[in-house]
Amino acid sequence: MSRVLRIELRRSAALGSALILLAVGTLLLFFVDRSVFTTGWMQLAMTQRLYLAVLWPLALAAGAWQGRREHRTNVTELFASTPRSRAHRAVPTLLAMALAVVAGYLAMGIAGGAWIAGTARYLPASVFAVLAVGVLALVAAVWLGLAAGRLLPSPATAPALGLAGLGVLLLLPGATRPHGWLALVFSPIYEMNLPDAYTTVPGRASVAQAVWLAALAVTAVLLVVSGGWRLRVAALLPVVLGAAVAIAAMPRDNRYVIDAVDPVARELVCAHDDPRVCVSRVHAGLLAEVVPPARAALTVLAPLPSPPTQVHEDTTTYVPARYPPWHDDVVLLRVDAGSDGHLANRDLVLAEVVAGAFAGPADCDHLAGPDEKMAAAYWLIGRAPATPGAVALWQNLRQRPEGEARARVVALRRAALGCTVQDGQLTR
Amino acid sequence: MRLYLRSRRVPAALAGAVAGVAGLWTLWSVFSDSREVGVQLVVLTVLLSVIALTATLGGPDDELDRTAAFRWLPRRLAHLAAAFLVVVLPLLATLATGARFGPAWLVARDAAGLLGLTALGAAALGVGRAWFLPLGWTLAATLFPRSEPVLGRILTWQAQPRVSAAAAVTAGLLAVCGLLAYAVAGPARRAPAEAAQR
Repeated sequence: MSRVLRIELRRSAALGSALILLAVGTLLLFFVDRSVFTTGWMQLAMTQRLYLAVLWPLALAAGAWQGRREHRTNVTELFASTPRSRAHRAVPTLLAMALAVVAGYLAMGIAGGAWIAGTARYLPASVFAVLAVGVLALVAAVWLGLAAGRLLPSPATAPALGLAGLGVLLLLPGATRPHGWLALVFSPIYEMNLPDAYTTVPGRASVAQAVWLAALAVTAVLLVVSGGWRLRVAALLPVVLGAAVAIAAMPRDNRYVIDAVDPVARELVCAHDDPRVCVSRVHAGLLAEVVPPARAALTVLAPLPSPPTQVHEDTTTYVPARYPPWHDDVVLLRVDAGSDGHLANRDLVLAEVVAGAFAGPADCDHLAGPDEKMAAAYWLIGRAPATPGAVALWQNLRQRPEGEARARVVALRRAALGCTVQDGQLTR
Repeated sequence: MRLYLRSRRVPAALAGAVAGVAGLWTLWSVFSDSREVGVQLVVLTVLLSVIALTATLGGPDDELDRTAAFRWLPRRLAHLAAAFLVVVLPLLATLATGARFGPAWLVARDAAGLLGLTALGAAALGVGRAWFLPLGWTLAATLFPRSEPVLGRILTWQAQPRVSAAAAVTAGLLAVCGLLAYAVAGPARRAPAEAAQR
């Protein structure tokens, strides 16, 4: 068996399919928008799933191309005369093509993983569920393609099937609206775009998708080995059953994946020595890059009365709206990974932490504007800000005597903490 | 002439291309309120027609074809020019109807570029494999088009807006290269045994 499989791996379209999936997938990962997946492993797994929009139709086409082989080489009758059953003859091809698409998809994951291995730390189990559903989707697609290529052996089958597969993926969200959860059952790419830093894919969603895709794969296998209409009709059974179970298992929540937040990814991880600087667990690999500018900023802030003593990552999520607890002595800082996986906008961290000292609690009605915060921050640092609005305020501060300017900056911080900032607080 | 068309399975390809356009036209007319068809669907329709016509680039036995005392170069040029018209004309006809597959320049650019690409594939890989590159490239480019930097506009030329010069140049280059390669070299030769088995 393993010898036959080895021959089949070499003589079929398996190697070519794996290389095409790897090349297309890696190009998409690195060329479309790198900063989407550089945050961590979950973002990488979800981005790979999104690019199934291209890989899934290609796997269908590859399967159909391979499925037409016997017809293309005119050996259907010859092989039918051998004493081995259709099922027996189909197994090596099925295995070879499945191995090929799995290898292509995993190699694409490794290419992306190598890019972020230095900075990504947090690896929850759900990453593997997301990856497994992607793998299962490709296996189902390539087997479905094999079945189509065998049942409709025309030269146009493979490209037409690829286009039809893309059409199905694109039309599913529109066809199921307003029941978004239905699209989530049947489409492996749905809600996988632009993953947030603390995002996750709930286990139940992955299970329902896996059930559906496994049923699709079983149907495809039955169609590949079928010799007559009886088995072909029977092949409908798994797909119907799988759809029913998957629909029953999927929660009836629209935006189920988009709204999902991983509380563990949001937990804070702190540097060892004082002053305390903490980032969320998903950004733990960036802690060493955040600490030096954050501590320098705390030093800049030290002359203020009751200055902030800690810097925490701002782990606010907007859908659903959740805010980190507010403490007057903690400055909140938004942390993002850039397209190289390292801290984005590293030069601005110092100014952002200093400006963060002039922010107020999230439920405030009277907060300091961004220009006022930046002007006060750059006055403390002793440099000119970059934004024009802040420059005007900053120059206004600089023209005043040292003591008066300091009093205004201190008053801005006090007003921000007390939610009593008034228009033009800094210059009035 | 009729024999040539039949040997290239032109009737089936024509039927496929026209049926594809008609089917998508019906779908859009029924399910959408907008008169202008989405750019993604326009590009994919052009791709569908081009792929349907790809099969006509080679006959059942290209080795035998080569021995014929034809002047192949003008014949192949005419074949590609006719294929271009077959792709573009039905879509231009839709401009007068309720579901407009436009704009015309985008349709012409993509049809020329994709036909060139598939002709290049037919000359290099053989007719059976000629659709690989147009399909894979166009799927990726229509779903994830990039407008920055210039390299992005070149790599996703199929989905660029009508005015993009980089996309027009890329499509033009592909069209000219494909036209020349196919007209001069013809479909790639296969091993005789394989050719006999098609």
